[in-house]
Amino acid sequence: MNMATRMKLNPITVEVIGSAFASTVEEMGEALVRASYSTNIKERRDCSTALFDAQGRMLCQAEHIPMHLGSFIGFIPWILRHFGEDRIEQGDVFMGNDAYEGGGTHLPDIVIAEPIFVEGKLVAWAINTAHHSDFADRGHAHIYQEGLRIPPVRLYRKGELQEDIQRMFLLNCQVPAERISDLRAQIAANRLGVIRMTDLCAKYGLDMVLAAGEDLMDYAERKMRAGIKAIPDGVYRFSDTFDSEALEVPLDLSVTIEVKDDQISFDFVSPPQVAAGLNVVYTALLATVYYAIKTVVDPTILPNAGLARPITVNAVEGTLLNCAHPAAVDGRITACQRVVDLIHGALAQVVPDRVTAASNGSVAVASFNGRREDGSLWVYLETIGGGFGARHNKDGLDGVHVHMTNTSNLPVEALENEYPITLRRYELVDGSGGDGTFVGGMGLRRVYRAEKACRVQVMGARLTSQPWGLEGGKPGASGHFTLNGIRNGFERASVDLAPGDVLEIVTPGAGGYGDPALRLDDLRARDLREKRFV
Amino acid sequence: MTWRIGVDSGGTFTDVCLFNDTTGEVVIWKVSSTPDDPSRGITQGVTEGLERVGTEAGEIGFLGHGTTVATNALIQGRGVKTGLVTTDGFRDLLEIGRQKRPDLYDLQANKPETLVSRDLRLGIRERLRADGSVEEALDEDAFRDAIRELKAEGVKSIAVSFLYSFLNDAHERRAAAIIAEEFPEAFTAVSSAIAPEFREFERLSTTVVNAYLGPVMQGYVRALKKKLFDIGVKVAPQLTQSNGGVIAFDTASEMPVRTVLSGPSTGVVAAQAIGKMTGIENLITFDMGGTSSDVALLTNGSCRVVNEAVVHGYPLKVPMLDIHTVGAGGGSIAYVDNGGLLKVGPRSAGANPGPACYGLGNDEPTVTDANVVLQTQNPEYLLNGRMKIDRNLSVAAIQKLADRLGMEMLQTANGILDIVIANMAKAIRVISVQRGHDPRDYTLVAFGGAGPVQAARLARELGMSRVLIPRTPGVLCAMGLLMTDLRSDFSITNLMRLDDATIEGVGAIYAELTERAGAWFASEGIVPDARQVTLTVDVRYAGQNYEIPVILPEGPITQATFEAIRAGFLAAHKQLYGFIAEGEPMQLVTFRAAAAGLVQKAEFAPQPLEGADASAAITGARPVWMVEAGDFVEAKLYDRALLKAGNVVAGPAIIDQMDTTTVVPLGQTATVDAYLNLILEAAK
Repeated sequence: MNMATRMKLNPITVEVIGSAFASTVEEMGEALVRASYSTNIKERRDCSTALFDAQGRMLCQAEHIPMHLGSFIGFIPWILRHFGEDRIEQGDVFMGNDAYEGGGTHLPDIVIAEPIFVEGKLVAWAINTAHHSDFADRGHAHIYQEGLRIPPVRLYRKGELQEDIQRMFLLNCQVPAERISDLRAQIAANRLGVIRMTDLCAKYGLDMVLAAGEDLMDYAERKMRAGIKAIPDGVYRFSDTFDSEALEVPLDLSVTIEVKDDQISFDFVSPPQVAAGLNVVYTALLATVYYAIKTVVDPTILPNAGLARPITVNAVEGTLLNCAHPAAVDGRITACQRVVDLIHGALAQVVPDRVTAASNGSVAVASFNGRREDGSLWVYLETIGGGFGARHNKDGLDGVHVHMTNTSNLPVEALENEYPITLRRYELVDGSGGDGTFVGGMGLRRVYRAEKACRVQVMGARLTSQPWGLEGGKPGASGHFTLNGIRNGFERASVDLAPGDVLEIVTPGAGGYGDPALRLDDLRARDLREKRFV
Repeated sequence: MTWRIGVDSGGTFTDVCLFNDTTGEVVIWKVSSTPDDPSRGITQGVTEGLERVGTEAGEIGFLGHGTTVATNALIQGRGVKTGLVTTDGFRDLLEIGRQKRPDLYDLQANKPETLVSRDLRLGIRERLRADGSVEEALDEDAFRDAIRELKAEGVKSIAVSFLYSFLNDAHERRAAAIIAEEFPEAFTAVSSAIAPEFREFERLSTTVVNAYLGPVMQGYVRALKKKLFDIGVKVAPQLTQSNGGVIAFDTASEMPVRTVLSGPSTGVVAAQAIGKMTGIENLITFDMGGTSSDVALLTNGSCRVVNEAVVHGYPLKVPMLDIHTVGAGGGSIAYVDNGGLLKVGPRSAGANPGPACYGLGNDEPTVTDANVVLQTQNPEYLLNGRMKIDRNLSVAAIQKLADRLGMEMLQTANGILDIVIANMAKAIRVISVQRGHDPRDYTLVAFGGAGPVQAARLARELGMSRVLIPRTPGVLCAMGLLMTDLRSDFSITNLMRLDDATIEGVGAIYAELTERAGAWFASEGIVPDARQVTLTVDVRYAGQNYEIPVILPEGPITQATFEAIRAGFLAAHKQLYGFIAEGEPMQLVTFRAAAAGLVQKAEFAPQPLEGADASAAITGARPVWMVEAGDFVEAKLYDRALLKAGNVVAGPAIIDQMDTTTVVPLGQTATVDAYLNLILEAAK
């Protein structure tokens, strides 16, 4: 909408309509979780919902998984480019996941979008993504090994299901029964978004709702600029090492951040993209930077497209942090976690009280798959949290998901009921939090026993490096995997588990903050009493 | 034995409502609460209330009590030192929870305090499998040692939560027996007794909260019982639970976790009773206080009971009325944030210093100040003249805000109300639209000190055509206590496909639940005629993880029961999620029995209607901002106490009473019904 015709609204109307956007995306998220079937969505809540405007800019995102923003920001612009507004119709439902055609970040995150029409005009989009735990036990040398690539296609045309497309998709999935049910929940969630937005436009008038959308983006931009301005101007650099079970040698990553008045720019330097599922597409990098800067500048900034305006992000194409076709991307979140560490590490030089010591820097994954007695396949994926870095005035958090993800664990009583796996232990790891005036959070230990033959693939990072401390705080412990008590017995590959095999995953802790000698006596006494350090 | 008494003990005031069964007389009394020992305020309130109606404590036939003792102890971390025993390998689960961090973007956020410190959480060898069978027997010696260790550490209370105890409670029962031998003075909570349901963390959390609060509640109940006995109360007092029912004091002190939301639930129960009285049974309640507001939805006179919620950061698996709370009330502060938008709350000026108009040192504008500026609330005094206020201070506070926004002062005051109303409407949408109910089919019942002021405007925002203001909006919770049944809930989790369910299998489960309910009826001394049991089952599509409760038809379990479950589930799924998954199998998860002991309730006699003319209640007039006019309009002022049944007040009007103010907007009328409720509707 051009500025000259834009309706002038008072700040109260903007706030009221903004609150309606927020409740719409929340409601979409709740509906998606509750109606879905696969454990990864229904229990672990690995999904996100949002509203976009007709030009493909985000109006509002529900607070679920920061990483998913990366799957949203490229999706609608791609559709608009390839279909043009005149070929998008009411009742169409688009589905896509590809990292290079359609703006996805990895193939299991399937995006579903539905255009919203008011008075015959395309005015907005309801969009959501859910992580389908499928495409299991695949290779990661390049993206063609990682699963079915889907550019945004119409799963529904004018309300009509395109059964041939659905059939082709399901044939490429290992657990089609779950996929179809989850898709149904995703589509129903978007329908709610469409209904709520249509009602909102009926109530306030289309022009007012659109103008409020613009104002809300300006508002997020103002808040972002105000927050950046509060950071002293300067150039801040930080380097870190990135290790993973999928890499022969650790990689060096670095960032240079320049803060100039109310603008901020990020220049990332990373090695050429690798033949492993660790590469990051540009939209995923953007989502990561937006997350990291928001945590430092102002956690309350509205999640819409306006917040990106004062931010510039550069990384050379074809490198790990801005990969090009056909790089594999499945485990991109691991690298994104390190990007957050880089940004916080650099800004610690100037706003040390706004950042934390390094968190566990990893998203440990265990992905199991096997065959049921009736011949059907099962896939179970889980991600495991770890330590959250110590803060300038308080300890870190123990055993949580950090930064780019925030999925729930699956209750033991649900896991064992659905899969032939027994969970032997789930506990905090003594001594894994880095010491300091304030100590880093502890990592997690999760020990599984296979009850039937199956395969498992594990992924992780900070297995050789350690999450750094700040201001004299000690680093947190690294993570590791064991199979039947043998450390790292199965690096870089899926392994077969026989009944009775025991797999242990230990996730990294987090760095401490400040000199350990300055820790208050009562806190130290508690550490001893609770045996947090071994 | 003609007087029935309801006592609601809140943070600031203790409200007492006395009702005479014979004459129908209602008397309300308010005293200051005594937070250090609430039983003093309660005894004082009851004593003074009785003096006021000129009767003796021995004449009390019923005493119901709503308390915030459990809630406050939980919020303020004033529970007892508690020990926990879990299955080996899972002692940290209490701290790990669902492994999510407390805030997505705020790096400074903390989780709620873990109620049992790590050194007091012990894992013991024992293990059940997912079908309830024993893989490894309980290591009794190790368990005994653990209890001795916790005893030596000085814990007052012990929680035990083993995996799958909801399927097989043998190990937990054995554990309880060992505790009774080793440490009989400890308060003991085992998860299979407190929350025998699937999902280990939520069951554990509920059990720990119960153990943590147990001794606090026991001490409170003991002290209060003694004080009431000392002043001559002869009946056994009842305590409200979060499910909207009352329960005997002693039962409540074993299950304090069931009383954590007892306060707001009584207001909903009162609304339910008013609905029954007036025949208006589709209601949305709106209880607006100083710092927060509660909303709930009642369909056909009853409020949905949810079996799990997160309360003050702790997940609790106990039956609770589905009440949604918003952090905004009359004292909420309005401010302009650094992005230039106007925000209201959650910061509140509380009662002291209170809104700017109190002149007690707060110069930031609150919702109350906006009402004072717009004169929708009395601009000179509150509480029928008991407290003077200064409108100029409100004007000054809002003017500052207006300058920052570049808006007119009055527009800004009106805007504060717009935002508050939008927040409330959002909360009501959560409990109505999001659950598949259209608020336009409902009547808004407004209470709490601040509810009736905003009610008409909120109703308009939601397209609701009728508002009901009860006779005593400020003390409705105390009144609700006189209208509450005894309630207890029983459940058994047993996963089965609906297609595989047999009449014998399901019949046996319900037989056991009914038996447990029968034992409870007997222990509460409820006579057979007053016993009512409602059976429900939580159903989902096999593969989903969230269930929908379906009420069973009355009568024995037959094939028709299963058909009714199927139909009920499909209708509810369609209403909630907008679709039905054709041909997908359904799964029964948790079977429930809600037992109600019907008590004789306060019954209000209808008053004879006296004609529409309300002019006898007019006390004056003042200009009041009417949002419909976008300006001040001269409004007549009425005294609620002088309004008679049948009177009709035409808007614009203000109806004042001691505990609240009702705004009747332009184009609406307020009709006084036979029970002295105000009914606001569009003028005919």
